[in-house]
Amino acid sequence: MIEIESLVAGYGQVPVLHDVSLKVAQGELVGLLGANNAGKSTLINCLSGTVRPRQGRIRFKGEDITNLAPHKIVDLGMIQVPEGRLVFPQMSIRDNLMLGGISARARKQRRQRLEQVLETFPRLQERLDQHAGTLSGGEQQMLAIGRGMMAGAEVLMLDEPSLGLSPLFVQYIFETIAKMHRMGLTILLVEQNSSLTFRHASRCYVLEQGRVAIDGPTEVVRNHPATRKAYLGM
Amino acid sequence: MDMLAQALIQGFLIGGTYGLVALGLGLIYSVSNIVSFAHGDFMSLAMYLSVSLFAAFAMDPYVSVFITFPVLALVGWGLYYFILRPVIGSNSLMIIQLTLGLTFLLQNGLLMVYGGQMLRVPSMVESKLFLMGDTVMRWPLLIAFIASLALSALLYLMLTRTDFGRQIRAVNQNPKAAALMGVNVTQVRTLVFALGIALLAVAGSLLLPGATLQPGMGLRYTVITLLILVLGGMSNFIGILLGGYIIGLSEAVGTTFLSGVSGMILPYALFIVIMLFRPAGLLGSR
Repeated sequence: MIEIESLVAGYGQVPVLHDVSLKVAQGELVGLLGANNAGKSTLINCLSGTVRPRQGRIRFKGEDITNLAPHKIVDLGMIQVPEGRLVFPQMSIRDNLMLGGISARARKQRRQRLEQVLETFPRLQERLDQHAGTLSGGEQQMLAIGRGMMAGAEVLMLDEPSLGLSPLFVQYIFETIAKMHRMGLTILLVEQNSSLTFRHASRCYVLEQGRVAIDGPTEVVRNHPATRKAYLGM
Repeated sequence: MDMLAQALIQGFLIGGTYGLVALGLGLIYSVSNIVSFAHGDFMSLAMYLSVSLFAAFAMDPYVSVFITFPVLALVGWGLYYFILRPVIGSNSLMIIQLTLGLTFLLQNGLLMVYGGQMLRVPSMVESKLFLMGDTVMRWPLLIAFIASLALSALLYLMLTRTDFGRQIRAVNQNPKAAALMGVNVTQVRTLVFALGIALLAVAGSLLLPGATLQPGMGLRYTVITLLILVLGGMSNFIGILLGGYIIGLSEAVGTTFLSGVSGMILPYALFIVIMLFRPAGLLGSR
């Protein structure tokens, strides 16, 4: 479904990604691991069109989407739930969700999807007209994922969904992610929390200094000596 | 007492239109962080277009606005897309210099085309008067007030109830997050520029009856607009409208009760005093 070939990207003169290749098949939940500044967010920002690659190709369902504008990528069904949630704090939860379904492909089914999101996250239902900035971190993460659902995502790219959340919220968010995956959604999960990723992903990639250091089925990546050393302290 | 009532009513009525002019710039600022120093000169341009339309077709300013509005919208679109978009995100001094350059370009362009003499555009209601208690008022002021109020209400509804309004607020709060939601940020900014500049065509036609035009007058409107914008907290809708009334009232009271230049100074003096106590604007920035 997603094919990245030899991607090179960076900011200004600073290179971040070097010759990165990655594949995600339809219906897969793929984990993308790496330490801070390994290039994980840059990679999904390239997929979302907010960072322009210098070299390489990105294909979505066989179509070349390298350098496509972000709104066009959303229109294809590739949705990013960004790190730090990035909800619109001075807009109501309802308006945040409605914005999630702003793309041409999602607009027709907005009402129906709004009901689905509120069924999935009943806490949002109770606060629909409240400003998003008044929500807790966990509730904001629900809202951010809800916006992704509103967009009618075919692929959901989640950037550090556990960041800054209490263990209870992390568990709830990951149960929801697993449920969405079971319903057929393709998910690219970017996380620093390796144990959570290993629990849910069928395959993983580990980025180190902008390069794919390890990749393969989760069991292989988990048992790789470099992974055990870097993430499990063994 | 009559004079005070007259000044207050006049200031209140004109303040509504000042607010509308500043709302246009406020919208532009909210999506692009650009403060255009040529804003008032685009209103001059709209007013002079009305002069031409009157000269060619004897068109009343209330009618010619249906032509100047789309023309100014096109100008606003071109201004953002071709001139400001390529430099957005660069040093703010460059953008300030660019819009200041546009000021000189527009003023001198108008001077070349229309000459330096004062011009007027007659209107069917220009000299019509009405009584409010013991106070005599001009119809154009009331029309300007009602039209500005109605347009401001429409803008408010657009911002709060429509998808386009949600997109504007999203770009205002976080352009990257807006783009990740599928908002075409460039398109939103271009349309807001078109709308913000087109509103000047409406404000221009409302201020035209009874006004005299000269090519350099845009600077005065720019300064008034900036005062109102800062008073209003830059992008606070209600704050900007309130700022319009404060500047309109202080200007009318100043020019009625203080002689010559001192009267014109009152809005600026009041502005400084308000800023000392409310540095983030009358109602804050949102």
